[in-house]
Amino acid sequence: MTEPELVIASSPTDAGISCWDLHTGAEHLRYRTCSSPSHGLTCVGGRFLASSQLRETKSSTGSILYWSWNKPQVEVKSFPAEPINPLVANSEGTYIAGGGASGEIYLWQVATGKLLKKWHAHYRAVTCLLFNDDQSLLISGSEDGSVRVWSLIMVFDDLLRGKAKQPYEFSFSEHSLKVTDVVIGYGGANAIIVSASEDRTCKVWSLSRGKLLRNIVFPSIIDTIALDPGEDVFYAGGRDGKIYIASLNAVADPNNNYGLHILGFLSEQSKAITCLALSTDGSLLISGSEDGMVRVWNTKNHNITRIFRHAKGPINNVVVVRQSSLMSNRGTVNSQMPSVKRHGLSLPPPLEKCANSADENDYKAVIVPRIDPDRSVEASYISIQSLSNQILELQRQGSSAAAEMEIERLKLDRSRSMQMIQQWETKFQSLHQFCVTELLDGEKAGNA
Amino acid sequence: MAASDTIENMYDVALKPRLLRSLLKEYVPDLKHQFRNPSVLSYVVSAIKTHQLLSESAPPESYEKLIENWTAAVDCWINRVVALASSDTPDKCWAGICLLGVTSQECSRERFIASYAAWFNKLLVHLQSPADSHFVKVATCASLSDLFTRLSGLPNAKKDGIALSTKLIQPLLKQLNEDKFDASWEETIFLLCRILDIFPSSIQRHYDGVEDAIVLRLMSGKCNPSMLKKLGYCLSLLPKSRGDEDGWVLMMQKIMLSINIQLNDAFQGLEKETIRTEAMRLLLPPGKDPPPPLGGQSLSRGTVDNTMRPEHLQISRISTLILCCCELFTNSYPFQVAIHVLPLIALAKRVLMVDGSSSPGIAYMTTMKQEFFCSELPVLHSHILDLLTSIVKGLGSQLLPHVGSIIRLLTNYIETSTLPELRIKVYAIMKVLLLSLGVGISTHLTDVIVNNSLMDLDERGTSFVAQQKIHPETTTKTSHKKRKHASTSSSLEEQPDKDVFEVGMSPNMASLSVKIAALEALEALLAVGGSRRSESWRVNVDHLLLDVTRNASKGGWAKDGIWRDYQIAALQALLASLLSPGRTRPPHLSQGLELFRRGTREIGTKVAECCAHAILALEVLIHPRALPLLDLESTDNNYEVGNKWFSGNVHISNHAANNTFQIGTSRKAPDEPDSYKDDLYADWMRNGEDLDIVAADPGKDTDTSNQPPETLRDPSSEKLPSFDTTAVKVSESSKLEQVAPITAAKKSPMDRDEIMVESQLSLKTSKHSEDLLPSKSNVVSLGSENIADDASIKEVVEASDAGFASPLMMTLDRGKELMHESDNESMESIPDIVDVEPDSD
Repeated sequence: MTEPELVIASSPTDAGISCWDLHTGAEHLRYRTCSSPSHGLTCVGGRFLASSQLRETKSSTGSILYWSWNKPQVEVKSFPAEPINPLVANSEGTYIAGGGASGEIYLWQVATGKLLKKWHAHYRAVTCLLFNDDQSLLISGSEDGSVRVWSLIMVFDDLLRGKAKQPYEFSFSEHSLKVTDVVIGYGGANAIIVSASEDRTCKVWSLSRGKLLRNIVFPSIIDTIALDPGEDVFYAGGRDGKIYIASLNAVADPNNNYGLHILGFLSEQSKAITCLALSTDGSLLISGSEDGMVRVWNTKNHNITRIFRHAKGPINNVVVVRQSSLMSNRGTVNSQMPSVKRHGLSLPPPLEKCANSADENDYKAVIVPRIDPDRSVEASYISIQSLSNQILELQRQGSSAAAEMEIERLKLDRSRSMQMIQQWETKFQSLHQFCVTELLDGEKAGNA
Repeated sequence: MAASDTIENMYDVALKPRLLRSLLKEYVPDLKHQFRNPSVLSYVVSAIKTHQLLSESAPPESYEKLIENWTAAVDCWINRVVALASSDTPDKCWAGICLLGVTSQECSRERFIASYAAWFNKLLVHLQSPADSHFVKVATCASLSDLFTRLSGLPNAKKDGIALSTKLIQPLLKQLNEDKFDASWEETIFLLCRILDIFPSSIQRHYDGVEDAIVLRLMSGKCNPSMLKKLGYCLSLLPKSRGDEDGWVLMMQKIMLSINIQLNDAFQGLEKETIRTEAMRLLLPPGKDPPPPLGGQSLSRGTVDNTMRPEHLQISRISTLILCCCELFTNSYPFQVAIHVLPLIALAKRVLMVDGSSSPGIAYMTTMKQEFFCSELPVLHSHILDLLTSIVKGLGSQLLPHVGSIIRLLTNYIETSTLPELRIKVYAIMKVLLLSLGVGISTHLTDVIVNNSLMDLDERGTSFVAQQKIHPETTTKTSHKKRKHASTSSSLEEQPDKDVFEVGMSPNMASLSVKIAALEALEALLAVGGSRRSESWRVNVDHLLLDVTRNASKGGWAKDGIWRDYQIAALQALLASLLSPGRTRPPHLSQGLELFRRGTREIGTKVAECCAHAILALEVLIHPRALPLLDLESTDNNYEVGNKWFSGNVHISNHAANNTFQIGTSRKAPDEPDSYKDDLYADWMRNGEDLDIVAADPGKDTDTSNQPPETLRDPSSEKLPSFDTTAVKVSESSKLEQVAPITAAKKSPMDRDEIMVESQLSLKTSKHSEDLLPSKSNVVSLGSENIADDASIKEVVEASDAGFASPLMMTLDRGKELMHESDNESMESIPDIVDVEPDSD
């Protein structure tokens, strides 16, 4: 049985956030007032939704909104120092990173809202941000065409950064135009990064060596990429409305008509594809398009299995969220811990606008309640164990406690034995008496 | 009645009441007769557990009589047990209490609900009466704890549970405060912890009392280490009873302050004054009121044991308090907690900086005091490293802002620390850091782990001088190692197992555990960052791990003990080194495989399990495959896949008119239904059909195709048919001619790299060296910028990388594919220069 998964979608026009169950197609709540930039919608640790907001060009501050799962209204509003485009949270939901229009990257702690770091990452606006699979690296793409890999440890530690030649791990600058999307695969240090750009190419990078592995030229500008979990292929959504399938591991036939490494495409003559997402098992591909439709494709037979309608206007974000993580955090399964429920539902405070440099040392880690799955009841019974320990103690007769009980028992034994002795004594006495009398009687008789 | 007269088998329900009755009759003591042999109780208990004699859960089809009979038997049992528990003979009373505990664990739910209150009262009496023997008290605590455990599993018993447990606190506290004797202490504390765990709010009213009692004991210096551990645990559970963050934070603050005060005292003359004021400032920002001292005023009552040296007492107190901190991090609390990390790390740093040398010119310290102090210091270091471990484990990614300073702290510390126990802990922390923080941290830990483990694992004393320089003491160790080594190899023939075991064990127990820790850290490093900036260290480490494993296994595989642990750690690290992607095919693959194969022969041991796992994992390395994502249940049978992803006939367009997806020229897909899932299999098959000779010698094929770059760049191109014939020639004659390519292949740095390149190959330059058969040239083009000259090709080839598939498969494929193409597609020659760019636009 597949775990329930939710598809959430948002758009640059104020059409809110739609939410559907991927497998049943049922529509859930629609969260109101959201006009997100591309890559600006994220689910924080499965606990709540967050989205950066498009602002009028004149406004000097940005805006980030939170929605909890069960309320359609915006619950928490934050106003960072500048408009934030991409917004991403790490999988645990402890940090939120946002990319600013000036090329700054902001890193907040979710639980306290504290702005932990802010650094100048790119020359121009940051367009996309993501964490790698073990959450230790942050990868950013920018309008200036570069893709950079940041190690969070280095970001936090000035000394380490001072020692390194550059503040980032890698900087890939082969794209000639704005980077539109970046994805990363599995494999820790051996992962690959795939980036798309307005220069009509997608490039595959090696994280272990920091080099370009493959360059794929598409017939159209690619705005979004989704990586097959097995990393056989990746899907690239183009402005021409087609979703191209490009090979990674897969062997492309050299003689096809699409171009080198391109295996084919999915198309429904829609408008430009703006965002893609894959279900966890990789069997369903979800695409959002400028025509306001979310289409769900079967990646095996390339049929459309479902179409959701989000709005009239364009969609620019689709995200797939696993339901199981929501459930446990909503506290439905855990009646024993009422406070978990309470904390799961209440949202963290808004994100700080600027870092308070005075309290650099004031960083507080937040330990969230854990539910011990290994609390087996059977193991926590102790009386049998204690019994066998005590029996051992008794048999060895070494310990004072065992001796104490033994003494008690012996005392009782003794008193019982004393009684016995007395009984025997009286018996003996009477027998003696009897014998003596008998003897005397006999003698008397003999004498007589 | 017939049903209960005869018993069918050991599963028969009729057996249970009969068995229970006979247990009662023969083994369970009664009030009249003497109770001679307590060990029969363990038989009784095991019979009850095995046959579930008290469960009263008969299958629904059982006779009603039978169930009645069983119920009656259980009634009898309970009557007897309860009667025993109130007996005035201590041993019978003890037996009754124990059995009552077992009963509350084993009896049916209905029965438990009906009578737990009565049982509780029976047990409570024993807890309250001062006259009872300790044996009885211990049993009472155990049975009460089980009763509460069972109670906590019931859905609606929370209120009752709290009410009952509240009654317990007073007598428990009394026992804690009065008892001079330690025997029943452990169970009392256990019971307290259990209540804190299950019904924490029942302690709320006595919070301060419990805290005082525990802290008093903690500080008294009269408890043994296991007792101290339990007390620490209990103290750390206390904040649960308050049920909010503040209680936790307050507890943490109190403990930290207490530690600091004691440290100030202990470290007098060993550290600079600035350090201690700084530590205090971090804990208590100026202007804030200090919390009440830990344990209230209880300490001033001063029941300090004077028989112990003050240094010892001091360090043991600090250690226990540090343990409490650890527990506070690792226990789970039902509320969210925000905590300042910096003071904790500062504390760790402060302690680890002190190595017993008195800082020059600060204060005077007697040699005597220094000697005492130095003897206790390792314990303190060990505990503070435990604290670091639990911080790392408890905080996970939240630690990131401070990871840099932790890395520096550990790196400096391991340089100077020579005691095995401490090194083990540092390695363990590094391992946890690697596994929890991943790639990002691997670069920063690589150097320190590699250098130190090279030193610790060094078996031949090759870097003897270096070792001496850094570790003056290890000289003796090394000689031990040498001796072990020598005798290992000499004693191989006679009785390998035992000999090695002993020689390896006795002198080097500690250094073996350091080696295990080092191996584990290396394994984690290889797993997380094995391919990251690895040029400098991978070769050494790979080589070292093979050596270590070989030497470890020389005398055979140990069945248990530390030597076995060492062997397993070595095997696992070796596996990681083989699996962790590097630039070349793992150079020690065959030797590694041989070791694992030998290990699997130790049937039924841990080593065999580990080796079997390793062989499974390595199989993929030998037969790599990239399986297509395919749904077999799919009704869509038109989707025929050949042997490669998308390389077969893919026509879906007739299914959904708007879906256009047509790829590839058709290739003959194998007909066998089960083959189309497995590309590797398909390749072999194809090979067989197309080119028997090559298939007959796959190994050679592999080797040859792994050609040196020179061949790749050979610009000459040939006709394919002629190629076939050379193939035959080569594989038949081989050997002589093969020498060159094989060695070249070994040198070649790029076996796995062409993958990206591979699919382009027939489009691109296509050329073959005259005598190398499956050499299919791959020249890479990266899109528009291209193979203008050889140099750039080389660059590209080298640049390409990543784990798309591994080298072998690729090279195999390449060869075969070529054959295939030559067969299938076009027997005509490929145009001379294929530098045309299909994708240039």
